[in-house]
Amino acid sequence: MMNTMREYFAGIVNSLEHKLEVDPVQTRTARRKYALETARLGQRLYSGTERVAWCGVAAPFDLLNALDISSCFVEFVGANLAGSGMVSTFLDRAESQGWAPDSCAYHRAVMGAALRGMMPEPDVLVATSAPCSAGVATLENLARHFGKDLFVLHVPQTDSPEAVALLAQQIKEMIRFVAQRTGTTVEPARLREAMLLSNQARELLVQVYHLANRVPSPVSSNDLRDLGIVLPLFFGTQAAVDIARGYRDELLRRVDTGERALPRERIRLMWIQNRIQFRTSIERTIAHEFGAVIVIDELNDVTWEPVDPDDPWEGLARRMSGMPLCAPAEQRIRHLRNLARSHRVDGVIHPCHWGCRQSLGARGLIQQGLGEIGVPMLDLAVDCIDTRAFSAGQVRTRMGAFLEMLAQRPSPWS
Amino acid sequence: MPGNSKSRRYIGWACAYTPLVLMDAAGFSPCRVLPMGNPPDQAGRLLHETLCPHVKILLDRAMSADLPPLEGMVFTTSCDAMRRLADAWKPARPQDRVFLLDLPTDRGDWARRYLASELRRLADALALWGGEQVTGQRLRRSARQRAELGSLLHELARLRATGRLHGSAAVLQRLNNQAATLPLEEATDVLRSAAAELRQEPDGGTDVPIYLFGNVLPDPDTFALIEDCGARIVDDDLCTGSRWLTTTHFSAAGDAFQELAAALLHRPPCARTVTCSEPVAMARELVRRARACGARGVVCHTLKFCDPYLARLPAIRQALRDEGVPLLVIEGDCSLRTLGQQRTRIQAFVEMLV
Ligand code: SF4
Ligand code: SF4
Repeated sequence: MMNTMREYFAGIVNSLEHKLEVDPVQTRTARRKYALETARLGQRLYSGTERVAWCGVAAPFDLLNALDISSCFVEFVGANLAGSGMVSTFLDRAESQGWAPDSCAYHRAVMGAALRGMMPEPDVLVATSAPCSAGVATLENLARHFGKDLFVLHVPQTDSPEAVALLAQQIKEMIRFVAQRTGTTVEPARLREAMLLSNQARELLVQVYHLANRVPSPVSSNDLRDLGIVLPLFFGTQAAVDIARGYRDELLRRVDTGERALPRERIRLMWIQNRIQFRTSIERTIAHEFGAVIVIDELNDVTWEPVDPDDPWEGLARRMSGMPLCAPAEQRIRHLRNLARSHRVDGVIHPCHWGCRQSLGARGLIQQGLGEIGVPMLDLAVDCIDTRAFSAGQVRTRMGAFLEMLAQRPSPWS
Repeated sequence: MPGNSKSRRYIGWACAYTPLVLMDAAGFSPCRVLPMGNPPDQAGRLLHETLCPHVKILLDRAMSADLPPLEGMVFTTSCDAMRRLADAWKPARPQDRVFLLDLPTDRGDWARRYLASELRRLADALALWGGEQVTGQRLRRSARQRAELGSLLHELARLRATGRLHGSAAVLQRLNNQAATLPLEEATDVLRSAAAELRQEPDGGTDVPIYLFGNVLPDPDTFALIEDCGARIVDDDLCTGSRWLTTTHFSAAGDAFQELAAALLHRPPCARTVTCSEPVAMARELVRRARACGARGVVCHTLKFCDPYLARLPAIRQALRDEGVPLLVIEGDCSLRTLGQQRTRIQAFVEMLV
């Protein structure tokens, strides 16, 4: 079974490497390099030879990379199964074994994969209490399934000095725990180097997001999709710096040459949380039929300060607890309103991913908060993973009605 | 619902991990806001239809002003739904003071230290809300009173298990609800009289002993319904049942906040608390307790959309299966109506155990 995933990632790697090789000028785009790096991570995770850590979304991957551990949040597997079109088998399997169909399909897919022997056995697991308690439960179940040791990083819901200090201490403890379980050693010079690379990637990302924030948009709905949530997997490595630099250079060029995403941009949108992970024609349809472009995703923003390479712990703690999805709704809404303003968006799409309590629970408040600054929000009511539940027609109708409404009202920023 | 005593200053609470002794010690009366009554359904507007009925009904009650006069509300970060309830409470009841106690996810040493700092923060907030300074002496007094409440409830539960409590599980649940909402002294009086007056000769019934576990099940009529199906609930593990009251022992010299934190973290865990050294430890614990009380089967009642419980159920199911203990899972929504629809399943399960 593991071979299927190994082959799936190998296929993507080969195809992207080939494209980059034969057509280096035209297709050496940042997006392709980013996709290539993501597929390589998949290859490493499924290689059977690498040390693996399954983690929660907010884990400090720079530290794990500094230990040479292939680490990843488990939802990555759910997303890839959806992307590969194979997800329904795994969801069926999890449900038949008692996993509730009302739960988040990222996690159900992962459990289905584990039950079918398609989740690589980790050396260790690191859960993060935020964004969601469902993520913790999944890692706990995986730890039980594999009989491997689990560490939980509790992401505080307050920013009191005690909370930051305690998370910092936990992070230190976590690194010792992982090193011990994986037979690696924590080398201060290597940690320092990883932090320097993370800071470089951060600086480049600030530039990327700043360049992307133009009217009309130099980025298409697809260019930066899920970057803010996936790139942290490569923090602490040269790959993250290269990907961010690639995007920065490409956007500089586009801005210089006046290249824009759409010949006539009519509607600017913001997307909340993650995108739909399986293939759909949504982005294409909204571009062609409505001149609409997703100019910003909630998670495509730098919400943390550079980390002190000589004493990274508190900086990492603040970075984790400042993640928009980890914070109380009030803070999350403040962030969304700032993004809406700075990107001059006409409307917001909230996929309202089925089963995601942390996000769905804030849906009404987000809608209210954005409404107060004149920005309407669409509750798309989709499952971002479960292809079985997807109705293209319904999504198109809802989206169409929303975009028509936006097209008829003045921009909130005029 | 608390009495009308005007001098009482109530603080609302919602999760069984709430440090009640701390609120007592600050001079307040902790009053559990239970998902009961029939408030109009409007919480979905601020939250979402797929959040657990517990938090939705609590918000419905808040939005319909169906609450006793509260000096403030204390929430815990026990799960995503509860975090979002705390978020939504503020716009729903802007006049309320709200405190969110950050409850550690696991039970390690750092968790105790962190929770102790959170408890100190709560004590400071309660002082700002007009409460007394929390002292070791006040905490110890409250812990003694709560321990008495705990042993009365324990005694009543023992009577229920052996068929010697008049009204059985439904009455016990009514008493649990009163004890969780009334001021401490009043609650103690109610339980004392119940322990004296509701005692009966063993009913000699032949009902099938079952162990009931889950999250929030406050409606006494639901217990009557289960027992009407021929079952006797001999023990339970519910947030609104045996698990809502934490017993704390404060030593004379120790740090009271650390001791309270340790007591809260090491009470029988609910599904949201992780024991890193034994993932889904509650599966083994449930088997142990079901065996210890002589149950022939286990009934799980969990609320719909409750991730912490639903996500641990497969492991629990497996552990019970491995030990040959039959399990019936019911998903409910806090209303008797949904449980009523399950009556036939409960009857069939009980008959199978005879
Ligand atoms: S989508 Fe929501 S529930 Fe699912 S993994 Fe993400 S935060 Fe958790
Ligand atoms: S019932 Fe479950 S989801 Fe609801 S508040 Fe309790 S633990 Fe959270």
